[in-house]
Amino acid sequence: MSQSAVENKKVQSDKVAGPWKEAWRGFRKSKIAVVGMGIVIFFILLAVFGPLVTMQGINEQNLPERLLPPSSTYWLGTDDFGRDILSRIVHGARISLWVGFLAVVGSALMGSLLGILAGYYGRWVDAVISRIFDIMLAFPSILLAIAVVSVLGPSLRNALIAIAIINIPNFGRLIRSKVLSIKEDEYIMSAKAIGMKDNRILFSHILPNSMAPVIVQGTLAIATAIIEAAALGFLGLGAQAPAPEWGKMLADSRPYLTNAPWTMIFPGLAIMLTVLGFNLMGDGLRDALDPRMKS
Amino acid sequence: MGNRKIFSLAFLLLLLTLLLFACNNDDSADSGTDTGTDSGDTGDSGDSGEEKVLVFGRGGDSVSLDPITVTDGESFKVTKNIFDTLINFGEQDTEIEPGLATDWEAAEDGLTYTLTLREGVMFHDGTEFNADAVVANFERWAGGDADQFPYYGSMFGGFGDEDGHVIESVTATGDYEVEFKLKRPQAPFLKNLAMSPFGIASPTAVEAAGDSFGDNPVGTGPFTFVDWSRNDSVTIEKFDDYWIEDEPKLDRVIFRSIPDNSARLNALLSGEIDLADGITPSDGATIEGDDNLQLFERPSMNVGYLGMTVTREPFDDPLVRQAMNHAIDKQAIVDAFFEGRAEVAKNPIPPVISGYNDNIEGYEYDPDRARELLAEAGLPDGFDMELYAMPVPRPYMPDGQKVAEAIQSNLADIGVNAEIVSFEWATYLEKAANGEADAFLLGWTGDNGDADNFLYVLLDQDNIGSNNYTYYENQALHDLLIAAQTEVDEDVRNDLYMQAQEIIHEDAPWVPLAHSTPLLAGGSNVVDFKPHPTGSDKLSAVDLE
Repeated sequence: MSQSAVENKKVQSDKVAGPWKEAWRGFRKSKIAVVGMGIVIFFILLAVFGPLVTMQGINEQNLPERLLPPSSTYWLGTDDFGRDILSRIVHGARISLWVGFLAVVGSALMGSLLGILAGYYGRWVDAVISRIFDIMLAFPSILLAIAVVSVLGPSLRNALIAIAIINIPNFGRLIRSKVLSIKEDEYIMSAKAIGMKDNRILFSHILPNSMAPVIVQGTLAIATAIIEAAALGFLGLGAQAPAPEWGKMLADSRPYLTNAPWTMIFPGLAIMLTVLGFNLMGDGLRDALDPRMKS
Repeated sequence: MGNRKIFSLAFLLLLLTLLLFACNNDDSADSGTDTGTDSGDTGDSGDSGEEKVLVFGRGGDSVSLDPITVTDGESFKVTKNIFDTLINFGEQDTEIEPGLATDWEAAEDGLTYTLTLREGVMFHDGTEFNADAVVANFERWAGGDADQFPYYGSMFGGFGDEDGHVIESVTATGDYEVEFKLKRPQAPFLKNLAMSPFGIASPTAVEAAGDSFGDNPVGTGPFTFVDWSRNDSVTIEKFDDYWIEDEPKLDRVIFRSIPDNSARLNALLSGEIDLADGITPSDGATIEGDDNLQLFERPSMNVGYLGMTVTREPFDDPLVRQAMNHAIDKQAIVDAFFEGRAEVAKNPIPPVISGYNDNIEGYEYDPDRARELLAEAGLPDGFDMELYAMPVPRPYMPDGQKVAEAIQSNLADIGVNAEIVSFEWATYLEKAANGEADAFLLGWTGDNGDADNFLYVLLDQDNIGSNNYTYYENQALHDLLIAAQTEVDEDVRNDLYMQAQEIIHEDAPWVPLAHSTPLLAGGSNVVDFKPHPTGSDKLSAVDLE
């Protein structure tokens, strides 16, 4: 702690590095965060390029070759339809990351907008928006997601929408509190004093200055979103057959837990590793971007 | 923040440990054996002068314990042990044997049946069983309607004065003699009487209980009703005055509902239950390899099928339905999801039933031919459809979801894009009965071992909206099936059913998939349990060692 504080001071005194570069230096210092980022980058590469190089088809069933243990032909074995588990996990990375990313972008956008409005205008706007957040947070998030999906009908897209919706209040509250403190800063006061329009104050001054916690929360939220998507898939409310979604793969292999554990272990590992990666990276980012660290 | 990292690491370690445990499971089959031995011990303790209690684990709860009011197998599993029927089925077949009636005689014209009843039989409430009791039961049923007593209507053609109603009168011609007069001959009449829904209830108890008789059933069977906690268990206990000496051997039977197949198997492994219904085929080999367990095969008398609603486009075209038949690789499905414990189906009735037409050649798995047929039907590019997959495991279809996925992949090969949908079981049946499904998975277990119980019930136009979910109608077929119902000569009758199967094969309202052999498992201490093909078992001869 004390050491890093000293380092930070040195960085500040240099006055060479911009705030982002400075954050990157802070981030690099945490080994575990770098490992997390490594995992995340690995899965992103897998999602982008993996499907181009896997040898086996993902949906072609080959029933005579079902439930084969890992071998040189099928590195991670085959599932109950004789499909290559490796190929399906690789394709599943695309689905999971895509859902996690889009859901978080969606909830961050909606949450930020509502949070800024609540924080900046206060009074009844704040009261209404904050109460809505409170109500949403009163539900266990997965329950709320299930409710949303059962209204919209089970599909991957609707699962994505549901996850985006349930994460809105997390972002909203974060931004709101940030805005509340920024609003009192001198540069906003002076902007108001020279008669700048609300729009411009909100979006060119307040928003960029409250982004750091959103980025941190965003990385951590991707991890949660991936788990939630997998949970919905497991319950049959997310991706539908034959999509190689990780949670669905887990659910499909449940009957074979004792006979063919590889059908369950590898998708489970994939979920665990991605989530772990995002969590570690998120922690590192928070340490690097947290203003309280710079004193 | 340090905390969080430590937590992550600890979590990672925990998961790795779990993983190792999971891998370990492979070679530690002996751990399962250990628990098995324990359960054997608890079973033995029942032997030492204490009560012999058999716990039967099954997939669902009963609907009602008044058998005439229901059609579901889970209800009959219990009522078959509380009620007796006038005529019994054989131990493991559907040949007719004496039950509450010791003897029967049919008149030449097939219009009069005289049944001699067993003497000295008592209902559980002390009422005497005699001809009046039989008449009272039939009067009660004939005076009802299809909502009250659905099975009576579909087996005997209607109620009261309705034209279709086969039974004209039931009269007591002596204390222990009953005469049935029929309006027209009904070939499977005696077999119908042996079906579980027609268990004879105590007339005094029916009168006393009124509508709540289903909660307080009273019959002449080997066990008396004790307690029913809904969605959990039904308890019945030994009836001391049962008319077969030395039976029942058990003191108490508890039917427990455990919906999840693997949870039920685990309950069996841990000794919580003694018998488990609905064993997943993939677990069969494991059970056979375990010395503390035994596997029971229920003689097959069922069919699992993919039905196509013939009133919906494009399934109104027989060519499309034939294409579907050619597109699906039944053998692969049977090998994979029934683990070979099933026979590929080509007809709607299983081969054990007389009248089965073995000359019919099933549609071969031939995607090219399927594509040709589709092109002929004007759909060279295929089409989009909804495929209903059943949400619950049934004896005729151990895993509807997986079978649906296999079919989906088969159909994709011929350009048909099937979206799998599923609903809660009751909704599923209702939607299918309303003709809302394009194609749906379903099946049927025979109740009396007669071809009529399959072909007429499932595919005749009279049963559209009830058990004919495909809305298939064909006048020529209808005429054949009605003629077969009234035909008493066995050979002529079988010939009619053979012709009927040819028509069905050509029109192809179904893709018949499989005739499965449902599996049950029990502890090695269970003796004389003989699963019955109808799916409900009389447990009076079963014992625990």
